Amino acid sequence: MSPRLSLFTANKAASALRQPSAVARAQRSVALPLRFREQSAPAQKRWNSSQNNKKGLSPDEQRFPTQDPLPHVGEEAAEMDRIMSKEKSCDGQPSSPELEQGSPVAEILQRDKEGLKHMPKVMQDQLKRRAGGSRSFSTSARSPQPDLQNSESQEDISAAVLADMIQQVNEQAAARLPEGLKFDVPVMPAQKKTLNFRKRYDSMQEQFTKMLMHDGKLARAQKNMSIILDHLRTSSPPNINPRRPLMGGTPAPQLPLDPVLYLTCIIDSVAPLFRIRQQKGIAGGGTAVQVPYPLNLRQRRRAAIKWILDASEKRRDAQLAHRVANELVAVAEGRSGVWDRRDQQHKIGISGRANLGLAPRRR
Amino acid sequence: MASSWCWSCLSRLRATPTPRAILPPQSITPRITTASFHSSAVQYANPTKKKGSLVAVKYRQGQTLRRKKKKTTERARPPAVGERKALRKRIVLSNPNALEIEGMQDLSSETMVDARLRGSVLGLPVPMLDQLRAVQAFKPKQGWSIFRRPGTVLRRDTLEMARLFEKISGEGDGAEKGKVVKKIITGLKGSGKSVHLLQAMAMGFLKKWVVVTVPDARDLVSGDTSYSPIEGTNPTQYVQPNAVSALLMRTVEANRQVLSSLKVSQKHSALPSLKPSSTLEDLAKLGFQDAAVAWPVFQALWTELTATAAAPGMEKDFKPRPPMLVTVDGIGHWMKESAYRASDYTPVHAHDLVFVKHFLSLLLNGQASLKNGGMVLYATSTSNNPSIYTLDVALDQLAARQTGVSPSSPEYPAPEAYSGADARVLELFKPTTGKEPQFELQTLGGLTRDEARGYLEYFARSGLLREEVNESWVGEKWSLSGGGIIGELEKLGRHVRTTAQPAPVLN
Repeated sequence: MSPRLSLFTANKAASALRQPSAVARAQRSVALPLRFREQSAPAQKRWNSSQNNKKGLSPDEQRFPTQDPLPHVGEEAAEMDRIMSKEKSCDGQPSSPELEQGSPVAEILQRDKEGLKHMPKVMQDQLKRRAGGSRSFSTSARSPQPDLQNSESQEDISAAVLADMIQQVNEQAAARLPEGLKFDVPVMPAQKKTLNFRKRYDSMQEQFTKMLMHDGKLARAQKNMSIILDHLRTSSPPNINPRRPLMGGTPAPQLPLDPVLYLTCIIDSVAPLFRIRQQKGIAGGGTAVQVPYPLNLRQRRRAAIKWILDASEKRRDAQLAHRVANELVAVAEGRSGVWDRRDQQHKIGISGRANLGLAPRRR
Repeated sequence: MASSWCWSCLSRLRATPTPRAILPPQSITPRITTASFHSSAVQYANPTKKKGSLVAVKYRQGQTLRRKKKKTTERARPPAVGERKALRKRIVLSNPNALEIEGMQDLSSETMVDARLRGSVLGLPVPMLDQLRAVQAFKPKQGWSIFRRPGTVLRRDTLEMARLFEKISGEGDGAEKGKVVKKIITGLKGSGKSVHLLQAMAMGFLKKWVVVTVPDARDLVSGDTSYSPIEGTNPTQYVQPNAVSALLMRTVEANRQVLSSLKVSQKHSALPSLKPSSTLEDLAKLGFQDAAVAWPVFQALWTELTATAAAPGMEKDFKPRPPMLVTVDGIGHWMKESAYRASDYTPVHAHDLVFVKHFLSLLLNGQASLKNGGMVLYATSTSNNPSIYTLDVALDQLAARQTGVSPSSPEYPAPEAYSGADARVLELFKPTTGKEPQFELQTLGGLTRDEARGYLEYFARSGLLREEVNESWVGEKWSLSGGGIIGELEKLGRHVRTTAQPAPVLN
């Protein structure tokens, strides 16, 4: 018996104890993609602590697995397709209604004392765990009558075992999602690109190279870039100023071996968050008001690269590439004037925050 | 109108003009500098123009918009003389950031012939680096600077060469002591010709040979060193004393251990200052100080190194001379007319330079000349290389002869009619006659996939390459590098392909 099938029937068993609305949801839970399964978890929790609820169910309200109402035509077709094509049992046969809607294991176990002894090891383990009181979840807080827990009937035990199993599956599913995400990780556009569309250089490296370029001579700029990267690769690891740490937190001795990362850390560390726009006409009297204006990542980097290239022009080294490389190392060590420039920009921006409301809204 | 106020002292000028005659002549009256004396010159002067009051319209000038030129930033000073060249020619052999490779073996007499190590990178022994630097074996653009220590791949050609070294040194089985192997090494750009020569030099040092190198053939024909004609030669030949002196320096620096152990064994009439008990190192040092005697010193050193027996009367402490390794890089420059001029301003052919001629003659009579055996390796170059049609034809002819094409057959390549082929170059590459064996043409190709893998693993283990080096990846790079051309592989290996981490979210 494949695990999937057992879980289906397990859900059926649990459904006997649930509100009708919860039944349909729980039935779907395994077949649905991971992200929708969360919804079934509260139903189980309630179920675990509500053994006295079932007495309230009249025979009319009780629903049996074979009593499902007929779905809509489209749904039925989709379901059929799913059964025929996707839902194969382990031997490759399409799953049949017998398997899906057969007698639930819980019911059988209720009837069959002997079967309870010889039930599968997984279920026995679950039973033991439950008896030992080392269950992975707690029911004590929710139970209205804690004293009744000890006097559980046999059917309750088997049903609880199944619930345990379901919960395990759900926990596994939840574990697969990254922390803090309710749904699957969204697919970023960069990941959708095919393998045939590859960039030769890292995007930041490419941006820097093109800003190094003079007179449209890209090949020369690329050569300079490679000299810069080699300089970063061979120069001694930076002595990082604790007041001006590099972003990313890579240990300084490891930076030179990955020059592109090194370069990225340097650029991103001195990149300003916004530019200052001189906005006229909002304060009146023709005075310009300084309004900070947010930049996106590429724009931020552009500003930082521009500053670094400007600062490198004042250096004395013979080669352009060496001037830039030395300036980059100076930035990494917190010696460069680029840091001051960034601090100043941020200072103006912070004082100009008050003017944000004055600026006319742009689309 | 002139202002009635004095501009400099703010005192009132006299309103009425003073008659000139009242004033005594200037030469008579003593000049008083302390008090301001107002002469009439101020009043006769033209009225001062008010600034900006009147702008003269210049009719004859163009009315086009003139933009201000962007100011160039003032740097403190330009780099010192020679700094740029020093930077360009700098050779860095170590990168302390790169990882030390565990278990990397050194090139030694045992490892260089070990076929099991084929495809692995062998480090050059650290004490030898000074010798290799002295003979200028490393070239500036070869990318030694990114590794912890220099190393070379043991490829098939290297192994074959190492076996030749063993044979000529008289070791191993099938030793052929005294044999001279003469080769011209060609290959595509980046196929490792210069590094092949470097490996040969390293092996030469390991085997205690005498290594004589010309690191760049262009230096001798580019007209940068002094030259002077030799009397009584026809056609006139030229000697380059400073270049010879530099060669002697290189040779002594690199082969000091060998040369200092050998004593002078011949009589040199051109060098009267030479003592009979001096070593070959002392002999070569004579040429350092005085460039004028550099050429006779070089000739004397050459006869000493190729001697098989001592001259009569000088048999005391004669030691057999070691084999010699002679390498030249960039042989193409020697196959054309040099930048030097004769006295009638006709260009001097490179073969008329006696230094060049000496080395080229080893191709023709190397076996006869190098009596103690050795190896003559001349490599073509593909960077900064003259395009010489005759050399291309001559190399084609050599290759054809090696494949068994008879020089009389119609398939044998010949220079085109009226192409102006250089007869002297064709003469050099003519099939040799007599006992002298023909020099060979060795074409370096790409690495095999296994060798390429070993080479790329070297990058990965040095921490420079962050990729999984597996069969498919290596195959891809092998194809991208034009079938394992090692220079291209190096570019691919050092090329930084790692994607930088996603940008941290700024807050």
